[in-house]
Amino acid sequence: MKKEYMKPEYFENRELSWIGFDERILGEARDKQIPMFERIKFLSITASNLDEFFMVRVASLKDMVNAEYSKKDFSGMTPQQQLDAIHARVHDFVNLQYSTWERSLLPGLRQCGLQVIEHYEELTEEQGRYVDQYFIENVYPVLTPMAVDSSRPFPLIVNKTLNLGALLKKKNTEKAELEFATVQVPAVLPRIVSIPSTEEGVKTVILLEEIIARNMSQLFLSYDVLCVHAYRIMRNADLSIDEDEASDLLKEIQKQLKKRRWGEVIRLEVDEKADKRLLKILKKEFEIKEDAVYRIAGPLDLTLLMKMYGLEGFDAYKEPRYTPQPVPELTGKPDIFEEIRKGDILLHHPYQTFDPVVDLVKKAAKDSQVLAIKQTLYRVSGNSPIIAALAQAAENGKQVSVLVELKARFDEENNIAWAKMLERAGCHVIYGLVGLKTHSKITLVVRREEDGIRRYVHLGTGNYNDSTAKLYTDMGLLTSSELIGEDATAVFNMLSGYSEPASWNKLSLAPLWLRDRFMMMIRREMEYARNGEPARIIAKMNSLCDPGIIAALYEASAAGVKIDLIVRGICSLKVGIPGVSENITVRSIVGTFLEHTRIYYFLNGGQEDVYLASADWMPRNLDRRVEILFPIENEMLKKEVLHVLDIQMQDTLKAQIKQPDGTYEKVDRRGKVALSAQTYFMEYAKSLNKKQEDVVQDRVFIPAEPLEEPEDE
Amino acid sequence: MACTMFGAIYVGSYEVNLKVYELSVRKGIHLVNHVQHRLELGKDAYGTGRIGTELVDELCSVLNDFQRIMKEFGVDEYRACATTVIRETKNNLVLLDRIFVKTGIRLEVLSNSEQRFLGYKAIASNSERFQDIIEKGTAIVEVGGGSLQISLFDKDNLVTTQNIRIGSIRLRERLIDVAERTVRYASVMEELLNNEMRTYRKLYLKDRNIRYIILVGSYVKGIDKYIHKGQAGDQITREEFMRFYDEVAQKGQQTMAAELGISAESSSLLLPTLVIYKRLLEETGAENVVIMDADIGAGLAYDYAEKKKIFKIKHNFENDILEAAWNIAKRYHTNRNHTLTMEKLALTIYDKIKSFHGLGKRERLLLQIAVLLHDCGKYINMAQPSECSYSIIMATEIIGLSHMEREIVANVVRFNSGNILPFEELAATSLLERNEYLTIVKLTAILRVANALDRSHKQKIKDIKVNLKDNHTMQIVVDTSEDLTLEQALFREKSEFFEDVYSIKPILKAKKLN
Repeated sequence: MKKEYMKPEYFENRELSWIGFDERILGEARDKQIPMFERIKFLSITASNLDEFFMVRVASLKDMVNAEYSKKDFSGMTPQQQLDAIHARVHDFVNLQYSTWERSLLPGLRQCGLQVIEHYEELTEEQGRYVDQYFIENVYPVLTPMAVDSSRPFPLIVNKTLNLGALLKKKNTEKAELEFATVQVPAVLPRIVSIPSTEEGVKTVILLEEIIARNMSQLFLSYDVLCVHAYRIMRNADLSIDEDEASDLLKEIQKQLKKRRWGEVIRLEVDEKADKRLLKILKKEFEIKEDAVYRIAGPLDLTLLMKMYGLEGFDAYKEPRYTPQPVPELTGKPDIFEEIRKGDILLHHPYQTFDPVVDLVKKAAKDSQVLAIKQTLYRVSGNSPIIAALAQAAENGKQVSVLVELKARFDEENNIAWAKMLERAGCHVIYGLVGLKTHSKITLVVRREEDGIRRYVHLGTGNYNDSTAKLYTDMGLLTSSELIGEDATAVFNMLSGYSEPASWNKLSLAPLWLRDRFMMMIRREMEYARNGEPARIIAKMNSLCDPGIIAALYEASAAGVKIDLIVRGICSLKVGIPGVSENITVRSIVGTFLEHTRIYYFLNGGQEDVYLASADWMPRNLDRRVEILFPIENEMLKKEVLHVLDIQMQDTLKAQIKQPDGTYEKVDRRGKVALSAQTYFMEYAKSLNKKQEDVVQDRVFIPAEPLEEPEDE
Repeated sequence: MACTMFGAIYVGSYEVNLKVYELSVRKGIHLVNHVQHRLELGKDAYGTGRIGTELVDELCSVLNDFQRIMKEFGVDEYRACATTVIRETKNNLVLLDRIFVKTGIRLEVLSNSEQRFLGYKAIASNSERFQDIIEKGTAIVEVGGGSLQISLFDKDNLVTTQNIRIGSIRLRERLIDVAERTVRYASVMEELLNNEMRTYRKLYLKDRNIRYIILVGSYVKGIDKYIHKGQAGDQITREEFMRFYDEVAQKGQQTMAAELGISAESSSLLLPTLVIYKRLLEETGAENVVIMDADIGAGLAYDYAEKKKIFKIKHNFENDILEAAWNIAKRYHTNRNHTLTMEKLALTIYDKIKSFHGLGKRERLLLQIAVLLHDCGKYINMAQPSECSYSIIMATEIIGLSHMEREIVANVVRFNSGNILPFEELAATSLLERNEYLTIVKLTAILRVANALDRSHKQKIKDIKVNLKDNHTMQIVVDTSEDLTLEQALFREKSEFFEDVYSIKPILKAKKLN
């Protein structure tokens, strides 16, 4: 790699770039074009994103600082410098979150007929009686108030829980010695409580913590409650497992889970009106510095807005729910195997339904010719139909091997439970490779047919999770290609700890081959450009922060390769650096669905190589995970994928373009058609079912007509 | 089902692997899964003569996994084989039993010649070029962890096959102390090899003109890829190889291993392997290295398909075994005409009394080989031909025969002229079981009769007919123009044993030709 493209000033720090992403989502919450309830959903997403960011990234930087690790990242910042910059920017960000809430959304909701009472002081007398009654009947029995004094140490405050802190003074005593008390707002009760409304046609709600605060004196009868304020802490939750020493990964992770609660406090959120004395106590007990204290002007933990979005009766203020469309190739066809044999099938979620993938496993579980099913599971949904089908298959005597990735962040407990359940059902459960997360999404069904063994493979860009498949955009390929089948078998051999094959037919795998493969393809475009031939790369991914790849892109851009990047989240690449990245554009699409598809396109002298992958261009994807890059070779399907890229490049409504200064701006729409890629694909998926011919020419505007019977069976 | 699924498990010196094949008329032998696990059993076996508990446990867990994987492909039948590494382990019977109890897999220990035959089958079945190449002087060399095998072909025939107990692991292990102390590691290895190589050249190579080496061993494909970049074919010239060798010497083993994509754990075997390749090229003077696959797995699959008649086999492998036996006979100057006559006599009798001996095609081949080799001991000592023949056969590799089969042949030859030992006595010094003993006895009876019919070694008998008169009399009608007094006299004595075994009395009747 040439040094000249590795200068720190050519890179944006990945954490700051991430905050930029959350800011873009916040932009959606502030967008008046968007229905009110969708806006509160976006705000909720910014909050849960920020929580995860702190638990993982900030925690990890904190670990580095604690370990006195001071190596600079590729953008030239030490961990401490990064922490400082993060806090500075997040403080502004949080302020913007709450001003959005207070100034736009709260009044906006009121106009939609939802009154959120933020302070119990605003309750009417009747409402007051109602909540007091509610408190006595429902809340009081589950509260555990804890006071702190010399004989009672400061209690353990659980990560991410909402708590109320209070200052108390013993009744009828002259000496005004203040005592601290705390009570956790119970997570078992709904945070949003409906109360009687004062107006016809308006729904009124209050937050649980306000009800408790109003009744705080009930908890400490012999005290006067001087003040009550909500607070919340975030602890270091990054799992760092020493895999060289852990002989049994499973046990080690279980152990780590218990430890997690004791992690160092890295953020304290507290009501901005909190009493100074109370705040002092909290800061001391949590050993936290001023810059990590966030004073909040509104309800803490805005993830509650996701619950508010779920309130019934406000459909007029929400986007109509989109039903994923059936896949025309498979509609009304009883034998999925036969359809796959006829040709590769491309799936585009959530525009198209995830059912075929679940179906493949379900059918395989019952099919008499199926010998084996193998699948990688990374994050699965609760009550996953796939898990049930796999267990069923094992009970039906199929050989079922499942790779359950235990290291999937925050999902470990969930995954361990699945793993055990599958093992009991007779599945062969593999727990992945030491030191490598298995991030690839692959399913293999081995079938013994009349003319021999045939393998059916599903490869995807997203997890085998039927719930998120309704929210994340992803693509998948169903194929019975013999070459991919062979590779798929080799993938599972490798995941079971056996040697890798001498060579791969079609797939490229991280961590061993994928990086080289990408580098080779980028360099190849560079060669074309140097020889004066057209050269082009279009890549769509979630995050781009691999310095090696970025430097290669710079070099290619400098050589004249036209590069268009569609990067949803982190993008450490800077555009518009003279002589370095002038040929590169970066756009980010933030919409109703979470953009998750990874597509890589290389012109390759006109041959047009199109790949889908489970991997982003991030060091962790390329170096520390098992990932799969797979080609789309069928010309029709290739066109479909290119069409997706094309439409995303034309998006003028949801796309934001990265500027040389690192900010993102909406597309200048003058002279362009208003187009939202996500809306387009929803319609497009519908149109595919209406008419199957000429899909390339007439994509959307097809008048409704009676469904035609397919001419031949 | 139009196809048969077959599993081939192979336990080698430094790896255990499973290959799952789909066998059908349409696709032939089609590999559907190859599972490989690195396990340096050889390190223990060649160093200490036994395999440590930890390695055995690992082996068993891998074999259990293999059982499961075979189920994933609906494998109908499988064979699990081991070679040198288990052969050279002390008390391997106990080890094999332990493996069986833990995994349900009975590991067959292949004799070297069986192993080579399978490898040879794999090569022959894989390549259409094979027939062309063996027209010219060709050596098939298999380099393993524990030994290397050199088979010479000339004019379409297998001339000789020899096993030399030098392999990559063995070489590395023997010089493990030296490796750290010398910068001349490679040349020390060469020296160690030289002695064996020279002996081989003197005895077998002589001045044969070897044009090709068919190289079967690790890294060959990787080297080919490295040398020819994108355009790897299946041939490397001598110069290309030597240049590559120098490059390795220069860059060092570790660096080169990384460039070849060899995992770090097996990189220490690269140099020993290359040294062996280099010395082979130098000693044989071959101009070209031809790369072919000859792994046991394909051989096992081919062998299975052959036995089950899944598809037609183009090459007659029995001929190769016979050819190899003929070559041994030639080396010990046996009387070719006598042998040919006897072969005919013995086989005619064998075929005629099929329903009495109840033996199959394979035993017929053993009888044939016994005929070919029945006289070789005379080359050593005229006074004790049977003992000497026995010893020669026991010490000579006959490609394609298992150790057990070789022992059967050796005993048939021994009993042909010597005393027939009772089972108990024989079993005391060998692994032969009752069944094999019975085969020996039955074949000996036929061999003795056939031998008697050409006692004069003059091939007096021109034609032979065998008729079963009733259940207890076999009439051998021979056409001859010569006097058969000698044969008649001996026939009675030699046929006694035949009568004992089969309850059939052979009667010799001469039909005079004029």
